[in-house]
Amino acid sequence: MSTSAAAAREEVVVRRLSPLPQSPVPAAAAATKGHSGLLTNSKSGHSGLLSSKSGQLGGDSKRMKGLFKSKPRTPVDIVRQTRDILIFADQSSTSLSDSKREEKMAELAKNIRELKSILYGNSESEPVSEACAQLTQEFFRENTLRLLIVCLPQLNLEARKDATQIVANLQRQQVNSRLIASDYLEKNTDLLDILIAGYANTDMALHYGVMLRECIRHQTVARYVLESPNVKKLFDYIQLPYFDISADAAATFKELLTRHKSTVAEFLSKNYDWFFGEFNSKLLESTNYITRRQAVKLLGDILLDRSNAVVMTRYVSSRDNLRILMNLLRESSKSIQVEAFHVFKLFVANQNKPPDIISILVANRSKLLRLFADFKIDKEDEQFEADKAQVVREIASLEPRE
Amino acid sequence: MDQISKFQRVQYPLDSNAYKILDEIGVGVSATVYKAICVPMNSTLVAIKCIDLDQSRSDLDSIRRETKTMSLLSHPNILESHCSFTVDRHLWMVMPFMSAGSLQSIISSSFPDGLPEPCIAVVLKEILNALSYLHDQGHIHRDVKAGNILIDSNGKVKLADFGVSASIYELNTLERSSSLSSSSRMRLTDLAGTPYWMAPEVIHSHTGYSLKADIWSFGITALELAHGRPPLSHLPPSKSLIMKITKRFRFSDCHDENHKKNRRNKKFSKAFKAMVASCLDQDPSKRPSAAKLLKNSVFKNCKGMDYFVKNVLNGLPSVEERFKEYKVLSRISSHSGTDAEEEEGGDVYGDTVIQHVKTRRISGWNFNEEGFELDPAVKQVRFGGESIIQDKKIDVSESYGSGDLADSAKSSTLNTPAPVERSDETGGGIIILV
Repeated sequence: MSTSAAAAREEVVVRRLSPLPQSPVPAAAAATKGHSGLLTNSKSGHSGLLSSKSGQLGGDSKRMKGLFKSKPRTPVDIVRQTRDILIFADQSSTSLSDSKREEKMAELAKNIRELKSILYGNSESEPVSEACAQLTQEFFRENTLRLLIVCLPQLNLEARKDATQIVANLQRQQVNSRLIASDYLEKNTDLLDILIAGYANTDMALHYGVMLRECIRHQTVARYVLESPNVKKLFDYIQLPYFDISADAAATFKELLTRHKSTVAEFLSKNYDWFFGEFNSKLLESTNYITRRQAVKLLGDILLDRSNAVVMTRYVSSRDNLRILMNLLRESSKSIQVEAFHVFKLFVANQNKPPDIISILVANRSKLLRLFADFKIDKEDEQFEADKAQVVREIASLEPRE
Repeated sequence: MDQISKFQRVQYPLDSNAYKILDEIGVGVSATVYKAICVPMNSTLVAIKCIDLDQSRSDLDSIRRETKTMSLLSHPNILESHCSFTVDRHLWMVMPFMSAGSLQSIISSSFPDGLPEPCIAVVLKEILNALSYLHDQGHIHRDVKAGNILIDSNGKVKLADFGVSASIYELNTLERSSSLSSSSRMRLTDLAGTPYWMAPEVIHSHTGYSLKADIWSFGITALELAHGRPPLSHLPPSKSLIMKITKRFRFSDCHDENHKKNRRNKKFSKAFKAMVASCLDQDPSKRPSAAKLLKNSVFKNCKGMDYFVKNVLNGLPSVEERFKEYKVLSRISSHSGTDAEEEEGGDVYGDTVIQHVKTRRISGWNFNEEGFELDPAVKQVRFGGESIIQDKKIDVSESYGSGDLADSAKSSTLNTPAPVERSDETGGGIIILV
């Protein structure tokens, strides 16, 4: 609760009280006006007085009592109450009547909304870093994150979205200059398995997907996910027929393979064979246009990254890979052609081309040169033109080796 | 677990063979909208927006954002998507068929001088419900205009087209900096929207803007409905931008010469004018929120949608008929020797008519992309009499700190008020035309 809101309440109290001439309260209220002590002071001192006047105050008295009772909850209180309801929701999915349950879930949704506005602020106030830190600390002190993830399917759409934004925000909150979310996830890696598996559930996929992408901002978490068997599932999730879900899975896949350079380089070196085997057959040779397009773009991003130089050298020395890229180069889709070119040029530019690569390039020399002669992109791009000229020169000058 | 099933979407088939296309009802550069039926679902009518993904104009990330936004929003006044899936190089977005089309197309076909106040108030109230829901979630629509307000024959009103919408909670992922810096938090800085409807602070986008930008566009939409077109639309978009950021708006400002006669006969209540004026306050913080506007007497006491159905929708040509008319019109226009005209890609059906009409009206203008970047230079430009700014390149004294500006200005021109989006990811001051 912000101080301005408290001040506003105080004003309401003062205004409501003033038409009561005999009451000693207006003086007291006027005296305390301007500092927020009124609400707490009155608890001990004046509250008895007020309630005795209830006859005179009529309908307002209830509301006023409410005002005096409600001591603003701290961020820690809200996290605790959220956790309590989550525990309840987790354990008692069937034992309660629907109305009671609905009531609890409504309360939960309200708490979640409040947590969100502490973390993000609202139209009236910016977030307060101290409150955020308290919230974060309490959140990870116990298993609130686990409960929230596990119970997410029980929430309504709006609460799911709020919860997702909370989880996303918590990944960036520092407590004593530590990202404690990362520490928590390291000890609870099974949560990441739940999040990834979420792609198979059409109702949860978009929420879990956002959470997952935020979690893999932590390098240790990304390493876990990359090295877990789950990463193989992503190859399938990318090809799900629901466009919104497959696109989200593709975004996660890209993040995993581009964000943490050293982790990615290490992962690709260790898992080269199966990874590029799957990448080629499932993605680059997919029958789905959008899968091929995103995959060839990602391949370019990976191979052109300096930190993956070793992997790149290996990739461009394989004739199978060259064949796949040449097929992509021949596609009628301009977007795929252009992205394929950015990978193809690496095969050509490689100064230590294996003989079988050279012989393929020589065998297809005239076709390739004809292709590049008409190969233009819509935007003017000097770098692209320079690359193309170099590729053409290189191919033209190739000598077949025995 | 009926608690859960309640939130599950009805699953429309993800297979193009399940749909039978009946008619073309809208077209843009990279998207076409069809009226179709979903055969296995009792032949329910649907609208299918078919986006060519291989078009250079269609940027995959914004399409992704749009489909995701639409699947996560749930409100009776927001156009939902039943499903979206790819069919070879096209993305099919299956949506409810809104049989009366867009408000813009209704106006341009049958109410060229605008609608009477009671009809405007009912529709705007529905839109406020949508905005109030969106804003409560931290979502900015960024392209509120009559062309994005769809209506069905029962008078259901839905806000459509989330192609340029954004969430203020996802800014950190949009920004390059990953820190939670509070100064830039909850503010967007990219340029998005359609010029005539854009708020001044959006045009001044480096200073940042937030939810209240939609309230400005809402106010402009009110004027558009009142007069049949948005204010300053007799000017090319670039001029409209400049006018807006240098000048206060009054209710009467939204007419060009041809409409002066009509204006005298039009009656709008004081309350309505005051409401619109409050939305068009130059200072975003002084504009009322959508929730507050809903409490305004204009909307509290307005009629129901049945009034709108009776007075506006009855006897209206169908969306398909209007689209055919538009196609004839565009054929005439393409024979009249104007430049190759470009329309925005991916707009929702019914909206394309005005794009063309406007294009013809202002053909000969080359909208200078630099116009969007003008705000630092505007102070040096004199506004005198009729000729506000010469149709020449205007010097940009300050760029956004990037050498890209000159290149982008050179390469392309725009002669239609299509939504614009400046993607900061591409770096510098490049403007991407969507």
